[in-house]
Amino acid sequence: MAMSDRVLPLAHTPERATTETAATKAVLIGIAVLFLAAILFLPLVTVFMEALRKGWGTLFESFGDPDTLAAIRLTLLVAAIAVPFNAVVGLAASWAIAKFEFRGKNLLLTLIDLPFSISPVISGLVYVLLFGAHGWLGPWLQHYNIQIIFAVPGIVLATVLVTFPFVARELIPLMQSQGTSEEETALTLGASGWHTFFRVTLPNVKWALLYGVLLCNARAMGEFGAVSVVSGHIRGLTNTMPLHIEILYNEYNFVGAFAVASLLAGLALLTLLAKSFLEWRFAGELAAAARRH
Amino acid sequence: MPYLTRRSIALGAAALFLSLGAAQALADRALLNVSYDPTREFYKEFNAAFAADWKARTGETITIEQSHGGSGKQARAVIDGLQADVVTLALAGDIDQIASKSGKLPKDWAKKLPNNAAPYTSTIVFLVRKDNPKNIKDWGDLVKDGVQVITPNPKTSGGARWNYLAAWAYASKQLGGDETRTKEWIADLYRNVPVLDTGARGSTTTFAQRGIGDVLISWENEAFLVQKEFGAGNFEIVVPSLSILAEPPVAVVEGNARAKGNLDVAEAYLKFLYSPEGQKLAAKNFFRPVDPSSADPADLARFPKVELVSIDKDFGGWAKAQKEFFADGAIFDQIYRPTN
Amino acid sequence: MSVPVRVRNLEKTFGRYPALKGVSLDVEAGELVALLGPSGSGKTTLLRAIAGLEQPEAGQVLFGGIDAGSLSLRERRIGFVFQQYALFRHMKVFDNIAFGLRARPRASRPPEAAIKARVLELLHLVQLDGLEARYPAQLSGGQRQRVALARALAIEPRVLLLDEPFGALDARVRKDLRKWLRGLHQRTGHTTLFVTHDQDEAFELADRIAILDHGRIEQVGTAAEILGHPATPFIDSFIEGIARREARAREWTKPHAVAGR
Ligand SMILES: Nc1ncnc2c1ncn2[C@@H]1O[C@H](COP(=O)(O)OP(=O)(O)OP(=O)(O)O)[C@@H](O)[C@H]1O
Ligand SMILES: [Mg+2]
Repeated sequence: MAMSDRVLPLAHTPERATTETAATKAVLIGIAVLFLAAILFLPLVTVFMEALRKGWGTLFESFGDPDTLAAIRLTLLVAAIAVPFNAVVGLAASWAIAKFEFRGKNLLLTLIDLPFSISPVISGLVYVLLFGAHGWLGPWLQHYNIQIIFAVPGIVLATVLVTFPFVARELIPLMQSQGTSEEETALTLGASGWHTFFRVTLPNVKWALLYGVLLCNARAMGEFGAVSVVSGHIRGLTNTMPLHIEILYNEYNFVGAFAVASLLAGLALLTLLAKSFLEWRFAGELAAAARRH
Repeated sequence: MPYLTRRSIALGAAALFLSLGAAQALADRALLNVSYDPTREFYKEFNAAFAADWKARTGETITIEQSHGGSGKQARAVIDGLQADVVTLALAGDIDQIASKSGKLPKDWAKKLPNNAAPYTSTIVFLVRKDNPKNIKDWGDLVKDGVQVITPNPKTSGGARWNYLAAWAYASKQLGGDETRTKEWIADLYRNVPVLDTGARGSTTTFAQRGIGDVLISWENEAFLVQKEFGAGNFEIVVPSLSILAEPPVAVVEGNARAKGNLDVAEAYLKFLYSPEGQKLAAKNFFRPVDPSSADPADLARFPKVELVSIDKDFGGWAKAQKEFFADGAIFDQIYRPTN
Repeated sequence: MSVPVRVRNLEKTFGRYPALKGVSLDVEAGELVALLGPSGSGKTTLLRAIAGLEQPEAGQVLFGGIDAGSLSLRERRIGFVFQQYALFRHMKVFDNIAFGLRARPRASRPPEAAIKARVLELLHLVQLDGLEARYPAQLSGGQRQRVALARALAIEPRVLLLDEPFGALDARVRKDLRKWLRGLHQRTGHTTLFVTHDQDEAFELADRIAILDHGRIEQVGTAAEILGHPATPFIDSFIEGIARREARAREWTKPHAVAGR
C-alpha cells in the first residue's frame, strides 16, 4: 500500500530504438499488461470486494467504530505534521545543496538518501534506541515525564524520517539544473534573500515541490514498518490506519480491515491521480526549461 | 504557497504540542493493559465489566487502553518504555524479563496474586478441518507423511513454546524418556510445518482464513474462537491424550502505575480478574478459570478433561526450559531446518 | 548618476586555483571598457567580484571613492547581465523588467503606475515594444538579451557589467546589437564594463580595452595604443589575428563598407 516505489515520469515516447517485429512488441506489451493486472490491479480490486462482502451497510458501520475513527484521525494528524515539516526542511536542504558550496555537502546528500536505503524497521528502532527507556535520552525524558516513543511524537518522528527524502530527492536535481544565475540576478537587482526565495526560487520549483509533497504524503499515510516499531499498538490511541488494518484483520474482522484498507487505498489512488496530473504539467515545464538553453 | 506552508507549520507545531501534553493532561484516568494476542476478545468484555464495577464502587470513570501483540514483543516494548500499568502476558518468563531489565516490578511479582499470578489457565489442543479428513487423533498423527502442521515460531511466540513443550512431553513419554529419539521426533514434527508465523494469531489466520495446513496446534481458547468466528461446522477441535497446563500470568508494572498515579486502580483491575465476575467472563471467553465455582456450567462443560503436564513440575520452570530449548543454539535451533 | 569604478589588487582563488592574481583596473565615469582575454583568464570572476557576487580574498573595489566592501548588493546598484541572460523563466517580460523596482523596500518602491511607465519606456528603449506579455521562452535569443539589459537598466544602475552580452548569438545579430549597444551607451552614459571573447567586438565598441590573461591584467589602453604598442609577447600574439584581419578588411571592403548598410 505504501507507494514507496518511484514511478519515473514518462514524458515522451522515445523513437523506435529497436527493430523487433510487431508480434514481439505485442507479446511484450501483453506480458507487461498481464503482469500489472495480476500484481497490482487484482489485489486492489480484492481489497474493495472484501470490504463490500457483507454489503455497504456493514462497510459504513465499520467506520463508526471509535478505534477505527481514532486510527483515521491519527493518520491524518501524522501526515499533517510530517508532510509540511518535510516540505519545508526538504526545500531548505535542497536549496542549500543546489545553490551553495559548503563543506560536508556530499555527506548531507548521502544522509538525505539514507532513509531510502535502510529498512523502515531500522528507522523505527533508531528511535527506540534514542528515546526508549534504556536509550540515550531515555532517562532524561523520563525525568521530565516526556513520552516520545509509544506515543504520537514517536510516530510523527518515525514518519518524518522515513518520508524525508521524497521532497528533497524531487527538488535537488531540478534546482541543480536550474543553477544560481536567476537568484544572483535577483540579488544584484536589489532583492532581499527572502524576496529572491519566494519570488524566484520557489516559483521555479513549485510543481516539483508539489509532486514531492504528494509522494511524501502517500508514504506518510501508508507507512507501516517504522511506525509499528514505535507505536506500542494502543487501541484508539497510537494505531495508525495501516496498523489498525492489521489489528482488525487479526481479530477476524475482515470487513473492518478491508474497509479501512480500501479507504487507505482510495487515498493512495487519489494521490496517484494528482501525481499523474502533476507529472503531465511538470513534464511540460521541464521540456520548456530545456528548450530555453 | 508560502502562506499555506507557514500556517501548516503553526498547526503542526500546535498539534505536536497538544499531543505531548495530552499524555498528562487527560482529565479521566486511563489504565494501559499490555497483553498478548489471543486475549483480545476476553479483555474487551472484561474491561467494560471492570469499568462499570469501578464506577459503581468509586464513582470514577476509568478508561482502559489495550495493546496486543506477540507476548515477547510486548514485553520488549514495556522494557523500552511503553507505559503499561499492567501486563497480562503468555508466559511468566516474559514478565521476568520486564522485572529484571526495567526494574519496574519486583522479582517476586508472581507471589503477589493467587495461583502464581495466573487468574486463568489454558491448554493446547488441535484444530482440524471439517470431518477431520486426515483423521488426526493424537500427537502421533502429526509426524505422519503428508500431514501439514501449522504452529508459530517458538523463538518469537509464547504460544508456540507451549505447543512445543506439549509435543515434547508427549514424545518423551512415548519414547520412555530417550532424549535423542525425542529430538528426532520433534524434528519430524517441524518438518511437517510449512509456515512458521511469528505469533499465535498469525498462525490461526494462516490456517483458518488462508486455508493452509491440515492441523493447527493452538491455544484452546483460540480454537474455540475460530469455531465461533468461522462457524462451528467448519472446524473441529481434537483433544490429544496429553497436553500442557498453560498459566498466562498477570502483574502490575508498579514503576509505571505509581508514576501515573494508577497504582490503586491497577491492583484493583488484576484482583477483579479473580472475582466471580472476572472468572465467569474468562470461562465465557474460553479460558479455564482457576476458580470455576462461579462460572456458567455450560461454559465449563466445553472444556474437555485432559492429562496435563506442568512447566514447573515436568520442565523445571520457564527459566530452565527457555535455556534448554529456545535460547540461541539450543535444541530448537539444532533440530529446525526451514524446508524451503 | 554614473560613477567611476576603481579595482585595486584584487585576488581571488577557488580552492587552490588562483583566478585573479592582483588585478587593478580603473573605469572612468561614463566610460565603456571591454574586458578581453582567453577562456579561463578570469573575466567572469572579475565582473562577479565587482558586483559583489564573489568575495575576493584581498584587494578593494571602489565606486566613486566608496569602498564597495561596505555596501550590500542592493546598495551597489549594479546592472549585471549574465552570459546566459538568466531571465526569470516563470515571469512575463513585463514582470522581469519590473522585478528590481518591485523588490525595493516599501518606502522607496515606486507606485505600480510609475513602474508600468518605466517598464514600457525601457521596452521602447530596447526596441521590444508590444512584447511585454510574452514569457522568456517565447522570445528569440537577441530579444532575450535585450530584456536582460532592460531589466538591468530598470534599477538605474551606477555601473553596468555585461558578461559576454552577445556570446550566445549568431554573427549577424551580434553585429546589429553591437551597434545598438554603442548607441544606447552614448544616450545613457552608464559606466560600463563588458566581457567579450570577440576581439573585433572589443576593438569596435570600447573606449578602452583591458586584456586579461591567467588572472592578470596584461595591458589597458585604447585600440590604437594596444595595436600600436603591444605590452607583452602574449598580447602581441593575441592581437595578431585582429591586425591582420583589419588590414584585409580595409583592402577588401572599402568600396562597399558604407553602401552595404
Ligand atoms: N566557482 C568556481 N569554482 C572553481 N573554480 C572556478 C569557479 N569559477 C571560476 N573558476 C575558475 O577560475 C578561472 C577563471 O574563470 P572565469 O569564469 O573567470 O573565466 P572566464 O575568463 O570568464 O572564461 P570564459 O571566457 O570561458 O567565460 C577558471 O580557470 C575557472 O575554472
Ligand atoms: Mg566567463
